Amino acid sequence: MNMPQLAIEPWGNYSLALAASVECLHVRPWTHTCTTPEILKLGVEASPEFSCLSFKVTTGHFIKAAMEGVEYGVMVNSQGTCRLRYYRMLQQKLLKERGFNLFIFGLGYDGIKPPLIRHFDPTMNDFLRCCFRARLKVLTIDELETAAWTRRAVEQRPGDTTRVMNTALRDLDQARTVPEIAAFRKTIPARFNQIPVHADRRPLKVALLGEATILRNSFLNQNIEEVLGGLGVEVRNFFLLGEEMRNIFNIGLWSKNGRSALRRLAKPYLGTPVGGHALTSVAHTVRCAQEGWDGVIHVSPAGCMPEISVRPVLRKISQDMDIPVYECSFDEHTSQVGMITRLEAFVDVLTGRRRKKGL
Amino acid sequence: MFGKGKSAAKQEVRKFRTVGIPRALVYYLYPALWETFLRELGLTVVVSSPTSRKTVEHAGLISETEHCLPVKLSDAHLAELSGKVDAVFVPRILSTLRGHIACPKLGALPDCARAQFSDDFNVISVEINEARIPLEASMAELGKRLCAKVTDIQRAAERALSAMRTAQTESKPLIRPAGALYFLVIGHPYNLHDAFLSGPVFQKLETLGVCAEPVSFSCREAVPEPVKWDTCSIIYDRLRRLDPQEWHGVIHLSSFNCGCDSIVSTLYHDVLREKKIPLMTLVLDEHAGQAGVDTRLEAFVDSIKEQHEHAATRH
Repeated sequence: MNMPQLAIEPWGNYSLALAASVECLHVRPWTHTCTTPEILKLGVEASPEFSCLSFKVTTGHFIKAAMEGVEYGVMVNSQGTCRLRYYRMLQQKLLKERGFNLFIFGLGYDGIKPPLIRHFDPTMNDFLRCCFRARLKVLTIDELETAAWTRRAVEQRPGDTTRVMNTALRDLDQARTVPEIAAFRKTIPARFNQIPVHADRRPLKVALLGEATILRNSFLNQNIEEVLGGLGVEVRNFFLLGEEMRNIFNIGLWSKNGRSALRRLAKPYLGTPVGGHALTSVAHTVRCAQEGWDGVIHVSPAGCMPEISVRPVLRKISQDMDIPVYECSFDEHTSQVGMITRLEAFVDVLTGRRRKKGL
Repeated sequence: MFGKGKSAAKQEVRKFRTVGIPRALVYYLYPALWETFLRELGLTVVVSSPTSRKTVEHAGLISETEHCLPVKLSDAHLAELSGKVDAVFVPRILSTLRGHIACPKLGALPDCARAQFSDDFNVISVEINEARIPLEASMAELGKRLCAKVTDIQRAAERALSAMRTAQTESKPLIRPAGALYFLVIGHPYNLHDAFLSGPVFQKLETLGVCAEPVSFSCREAVPEPVKWDTCSIIYDRLRRLDPQEWHGVIHLSSFNCGCDSIVSTLYHDVLREKKIPLMTLVLDEHAGQAGVDTRLEAFVDSIKEQHEHAATRH
């Protein structure tokens, strides 16, 4: 049977979970876990000059998909204050101008039954099964990532963790049913425990905060997690889709990372959510300072409206609460070498601070 | 949880004698409004001096590098007020039009002002969200925070609103000599009405014999589709209603790194392409050289003139 194809916007490793979730619609998912230079180039050429990198990249993915003959796409439908609100409309327009025949569905905030579901109309059974599958996969990926961040900082042979991670992701992609994924999830600790580590090392702890697309796309952020891990730093990327889902659906209202908890944390510095993940960035910076983290790296695409507008606030928190905050913006010209040098310098500063404090 | 919020609001209630208003963003979004309101409440109001080359240079030094030009200028204007006033008025602008939202950068302004200038002055703020609460209510709230009497607040608000209406409609009527070109100049009010930024453009157009009119923001109605940002939506509405017989060109004054314009300028282009009205976008930044702007304006006007002469000879 010739199934239609559905292009999914890139969400890093979470693309695997999203791909699994749309299979219930009886479509073939088209997605990449990582952007390629070719896709970025397509996106940059098509997009308005001053649009943010996230827009350029997602546009590039849809154009690439359209070139490969994909008929449908799906994109988040935002109701927020930032540019994300206009992404879908503009991308649809750009695709049409280029003569591509790809229809982009909006996801979320469109009523109980989004147009995507209405169009493909899966049975309730299929739909629920795939929802559970996607949820479990997202949580599994969260667990994998967390394990990788802690292991990479103390591994004895550089690259071991990345190898284990890659095999794990491949295996996870093969796992189709809920019991299979659950069985896979049980093997995670064993997989990572086989990596030989320096047990005595106490790695620096650095938080990665900021805009989600850049945080999750290892091509765009110049592989920041692995570079820092290689420098012996334990990172924690504060965009975990499992948590984010809970916030979107307002489950776990009282959890540590719930919306109201974050708002309370940020309150002394920021009186409004601004938009995007700006409030989350501020709140997590405050919390990291309270919990005694070594540093924070604030990641955003160049010119990102919400994230840039809170940067003076982050600087103030950094001064007040004595926590180093390194702000880095990414655009299509960011080079990996420049990034590595700057990260090395930042890590040196953090090591120096630890030594000075006599820790 | 609720008690905390109240005490925080109470803390803000304090007597100030001189209050500063930066000549940026809100000053142009609500012309004459806040100035008149605070003055009518019996405060001495200091408005920072008009933008100059020095302001622009200072902005580049002290402000976050990736801000757009108007926000950078706002920082420089705030810095100029330091030492001259007890407090500075920086409202939290969430929306200036019913059914619309403001640029997200304007929502974080008071927090940024507090973060950057906490040693220099107090920051008085009030939430302006015309999508939810009327402007009068925001003014009443501000008056209450400044310990003013209710009757005083009402009187001051009335005068301030009428001052704003006169300021918005006061612009000189456009003289329309026959045969001249008519241009509409669009852009955010804080780009369009800042004489340092837009002045050279209007002057150049005048010397080229073009009648240029800035887009008016006095109308308080617009359709929030497809553009949800308030000022952009007003402009978009105006462009949709533009008569190609009457207008010969449109000039879009945008500022470098403006997030809103990066999205909506493509929409402006589409509307005007359908109407066959030429559009030129000029991006303002802190390095703008006058010569570059002049050449582009000359070329734009020349090409339109030629087109018209060509059309006239053919008929």
